[in-house]
Amino acid sequence: MSGDGPVRYWLEGTELLETPEPAQEAEPWSETRVVGQRLRRVDAYERVSGTARYPSDIVLPGMLYGAILRCPHPHARVLSVDTTAAEAMPGVRAVVSGFTDLDRAMRPHQRLIRENLFVELCRHEGETVAAVAADTPYRARDALRAIRVDYEELPFISDERDALESGAPLVHEAGNRVSDPRVYERGDLARGFEEADIVLEEEYRTECELHTPLEPHGCVANWEGDRLTIWESTQGVYPVRQDAARALGISQSKVRVVGEYMGGGFGSKLGAGKYTIIAALLARSTARPVKLFLTREETFLTEGNRPPANMHVRAGVKSDGTLTAVEFVATATGGAYPAGGTSALDYLIRDLYLCPNVRAETADLYINAGPARPMRAPGHPQCAWALEQMMDTLAEAIDMDPLEFRLKNVPAVSQAGGRPYTTTGLRDCLSEGAEAFGWTEARARAERGTGDPYVRRGVGMAGAMWAAGGGGPPATVIIKLFSDGGVSLNMGASDIGTGTKTVMAMVAAEELWIDPGDIEIEHADTATTHFASASGGSKTVPTESPAVRAAALLVKGQIIDMAARQLGVEPGTLQLREGRVVSESGEQPEVAISELTELRRRGFVEGIGFRGPNPAGKAVNPFAAQFCEVEVDLRTGEVEILRFLGAHDSGRVLNRMTYDNQVFGGITMGIGFGSTEKRVLDRGQTGRLLSRGWHDYRIPTALDVPADMSTVAIDPGDTEANTTGTKGIGEPATIPTAPAIANAVYHATGVRVTDTPITPAAVVEALARRPRGA
Amino acid sequence: MSTSNADGSDGNRGVSRRGFLSSMGVGAVSMALPTELAGTPPPSPEMVEAGDLTQIALRINGREYPALVEPRWSLLHVLREELGLTAAKEGCGRGECGSCTVLIDGAPRYACLTLALEAEGTSVTTLEGLMKGEELGPTQQAFAEEDAFQCGYCTPGQIMATEGLLLQNPHPSQDEIRTGVSGNLCRCGTYAHIFKAVDRAAGLRSAEGGGS
Amino acid sequence: MLQNFSYARVSSLGEAIEHLAPTGSRVHAGGTDLLGCLRDGVFAADKVVSIAGIDALKGIGDSANGVVRIGALTPLAEIAASPLVQQGYTALAQAADAVGTPQLRNQGTLGGNVCQKPRCWYYRGPFDCMRKGGGRCYALTGNNEGHAIFGGTGCHVVHPSDTAPALMALGATATLMGPEGRRSVALSDFFVPPRVDPTSETVLGPGEVLTELVLPTPREGLRSSYRKVRGRRSWDFALAGVALALRMTPAGVVETAKVVFSGVAPVPWRSTAVEQVLTGQSLTDDVVRLASEAGVEDAQPLRHNGYKVDLLRGIIAEQLTSIA
Repeated sequence: MSGDGPVRYWLEGTELLETPEPAQEAEPWSETRVVGQRLRRVDAYERVSGTARYPSDIVLPGMLYGAILRCPHPHARVLSVDTTAAEAMPGVRAVVSGFTDLDRAMRPHQRLIRENLFVELCRHEGETVAAVAADTPYRARDALRAIRVDYEELPFISDERDALESGAPLVHEAGNRVSDPRVYERGDLARGFEEADIVLEEEYRTECELHTPLEPHGCVANWEGDRLTIWESTQGVYPVRQDAARALGISQSKVRVVGEYMGGGFGSKLGAGKYTIIAALLARSTARPVKLFLTREETFLTEGNRPPANMHVRAGVKSDGTLTAVEFVATATGGAYPAGGTSALDYLIRDLYLCPNVRAETADLYINAGPARPMRAPGHPQCAWALEQMMDTLAEAIDMDPLEFRLKNVPAVSQAGGRPYTTTGLRDCLSEGAEAFGWTEARARAERGTGDPYVRRGVGMAGAMWAAGGGGPPATVIIKLFSDGGVSLNMGASDIGTGTKTVMAMVAAEELWIDPGDIEIEHADTATTHFASASGGSKTVPTESPAVRAAALLVKGQIIDMAARQLGVEPGTLQLREGRVVSESGEQPEVAISELTELRRRGFVEGIGFRGPNPAGKAVNPFAAQFCEVEVDLRTGEVEILRFLGAHDSGRVLNRMTYDNQVFGGITMGIGFGSTEKRVLDRGQTGRLLSRGWHDYRIPTALDVPADMSTVAIDPGDTEANTTGTKGIGEPATIPTAPAIANAVYHATGVRVTDTPITPAAVVEALARRPRGA
Repeated sequence: MSTSNADGSDGNRGVSRRGFLSSMGVGAVSMALPTELAGTPPPSPEMVEAGDLTQIALRINGREYPALVEPRWSLLHVLREELGLTAAKEGCGRGECGSCTVLIDGAPRYACLTLALEAEGTSVTTLEGLMKGEELGPTQQAFAEEDAFQCGYCTPGQIMATEGLLLQNPHPSQDEIRTGVSGNLCRCGTYAHIFKAVDRAAGLRSAEGGGS
Repeated sequence: MLQNFSYARVSSLGEAIEHLAPTGSRVHAGGTDLLGCLRDGVFAADKVVSIAGIDALKGIGDSANGVVRIGALTPLAEIAASPLVQQGYTALAQAADAVGTPQLRNQGTLGGNVCQKPRCWYYRGPFDCMRKGGGRCYALTGNNEGHAIFGGTGCHVVHPSDTAPALMALGATATLMGPEGRRSVALSDFFVPPRVDPTSETVLGPGEVLTELVLPTPREGLRSSYRKVRGRRSWDFALAGVALALRMTPAGVVETAKVVFSGVAPVPWRSTAVEQVLTGQSLTDDVVRLASEAGVEDAQPLRHNGYKVDLLRGIIAEQLTSIA
């Protein structure tokens, strides 16, 4: 379990189960037939026909609709809650609050945030105060409006940059620091700066980013006697089951969680929400199914975010391009509770580039805002924004090409943990990506100008790695092959849209010589599968696919043994080919699977595959470099992104089409992080959320991304990491995007935008500050 | 449009009313009749009191669906929660995401910003209506082939926006394609594949002779 | 989720006016802004009066008697796609095409776009601000990055319409029908600035409906354009925008100029300063520079929206250069 280094956020709060170590691990594939192809998804039909049933699509007979009353103040004490009028309203079936009799509702709802379900001391806008269930969602909202709450408003703080000022209001009595600042050090920083020919420093800031999956957070809860079924929009049905059972004080065996389809999570749906528990309570008290999906603004307030970060970087370099020292001092906030405001914020500083002298100090602060949740590569895009801009700045200072400067500082060993990487494709990502992009020519072309004095072109790039992405145990996958040739694959993990089901079917199909589309998949249902951790951390493919391969090999072995007995030959001479067991030489008799008498008697064979441990003493990490070309309008500040290329080392590519899709998706989210997105709180005034919808919280549209996107797959197949040679792609794909844009904008204009997002306003402001004639 | 005063201050009325509505929703599907009528003109003038349920007939995917609705109910709510047509999704409830896109008289619109009462007298097409029995329509086929989705939640809306675009403009340019789906957010970021899918859908439709 | 309201569907203006007379009644045209406002609690409605079925208010008329009439219920998509509008009133076609998204342009109407409620995250959010009858403008002291740099007396919202500045530049007149009958109002007199009344946006009285917009037939040499800059390339309202309508001689001399800004003031903001610089001049680099400076001369930016001054100056220059 050493493979994923310091970052394993997707397991936080989850009780991890142990699985047996496989007795024997398979050899790496030498060549593949199915794996690596561009194949249509096994569930494409469901997803384009409207028959994929998402949790929010569930409609049950007699179903009620739940809704939650939330604190409108950033910091307030609830003095009383009067639900009398709401209870008397037509169609209202249940009203619950911290002041009603449902005392079970007071149980702490999470391991990490030990607050009651309904909060008396509200530390951020959106804390839960009461909830209702009614016949229609409209009537549920009517009832919320009829609940009277007395609040004592308290002083609040809504920006971490104000949190340590003397006299600042306190979010928690002990102060606004979550803990003492965390310090990482190696080498001798002072000496490193002395050795440098050039030392530069700069302040960078990244704004708070919201996950905003298209399907809001929520669930449908239904009791049958003392058994609870929850259809939840989640990245992991097992963590939801653990959370729900714990909060409700019942056995996990009494809770079934189903989440076959879900409309996006990006780290914000790793466990049960308060809404899950509230829906279950409302359903129990009304003896009716309850559907409780949050409104869009509720999800903005309470269902997580990527913390804003303020980063000071000081770095020293020799004129030959050797990095001698990097210092990183950062503050960030996970909101009103300990929620990982500085999680992995300094990881790239520690590990991405070769540097003997490093110091990183990160301080996590409280403010009166909704708690953070892990968001697609926690900490990394923030750190990349700072580090990758500083790399370009250093390169310019020593008159070196930014690509060449990075190539000079590629480490062979993980400096953060002092362990070698199983594979590092950073150098290949940089050089092969640059070649495919046409880096040198594009830079030169951009510098020749566009012919329009007010439109400048620029080309930029950035490198990246992801602290995790190697996966690891536990994983349990069951494959059955039936006597009629049918195959089923059973796994607990969710397919959150990345194509998990498809690539697992491809791995099984590779070993069993069948069409992946013919494999029936059961997954993401605690009633029918074995434990899986939530799909997050870019670990689902490297975690599950070796278990799939192990299960398939166990099935194959049994089939070959049966055939060997039936044919009276040695099993070692036989192979599985397109539904038949044949000899390697082709000279011996062969038999169709459907003609195996032993299989026909038994009906099926079953293989239970487990995930073996990662190699001891090694670091397993994905690497990346991204390149982009932009045009900047000097009069309006508009930045048009013309093209993007992602070069990624994520080990073996199982399906090139879904791989491309992941990279393009990561780039698109990175474009949002770098160019358009910013959660805005009413700092210094009401402290409330101002960007309450997608009009004011701008995620990229089809017109904000280039149609010209491409990938370069650095595909060595990480044969040491695991038996499928895979590493994760989901998170690394979004890490270098924003600084690549910032570097391209600098190349175009000569001005650096050091705060996200690079809006027209930001560019216009930066250009106005530029000395005339520059 | 006829008006029935089914609401009251009595809390219990909600039960029977709701029970009736649920069975109506299920019944509506089986009672739906194919009809040759091309969108009956709305009767007028009409008035519905606040909170009252009114019986309306919605023409969806070529069939008539009777439904009981309150004035404030959106077309999206009626489609998803009352009629069991759940392909159109709710992402925001206020026209900011496009997940609820349906065709109204052939043009893409947001079902969350359309009162159910306003849809009466129009012809509504949802993703379900693009299916030919169990077979995918050409736009759906193109989205499947180009992997133009990830989580798939925005996909019904993306496909309906594409369908509307191609009905109006069977051979869109790259810019027209991008504009055509610019009213539909995809947080998974699959736009690059969506552009290819729209292009492919245009090809498949013209190969079919103008498409469905 | 919307609160309860009663609903009236009318087939004639007379019925509409009758239903709309009581306060608390709200007119439903395309519904896009109305339902958003109701959902967000910007205001409540006792009764929603749907005029969407009144066919007489739809369509773009032919040029007759020196004018072109556009029904208030004409969808924005139809206006953007109309050859007549594209050729004669380019600014209007560009503005209609710049609104929202394809879906919103299919559903939203010209009248609704002109009459929509302002954009301000305090006004649209759960804040009891001056425009909602409260005592203060939160934007003045709060986060005002999207707010007005002109005319923000008491309330600093920006007018969100793209079509209104274009229509104003093109010299449109609004036809209103109400309990007192019909009246015509120049669009430049249609909008109410906050210094007059911070709680209303237009001169529409109780029960009064905007029925059509009347444009003069384009005169020889008319060139017009509309351009807005936004945070995202779809859905967004203007951070700043410029509508131009210039009548130019074959030699390129500006005979008359109408210049109206979007996204920078509580009402579509006419800039007579720019018009004066341009009138009688050729669009040389010097004139463009002087005009773009004149356009921002009286700007009064707030703490967070100073960029709008530079941005607006840039858009004016860009548009004057490209229209020349």
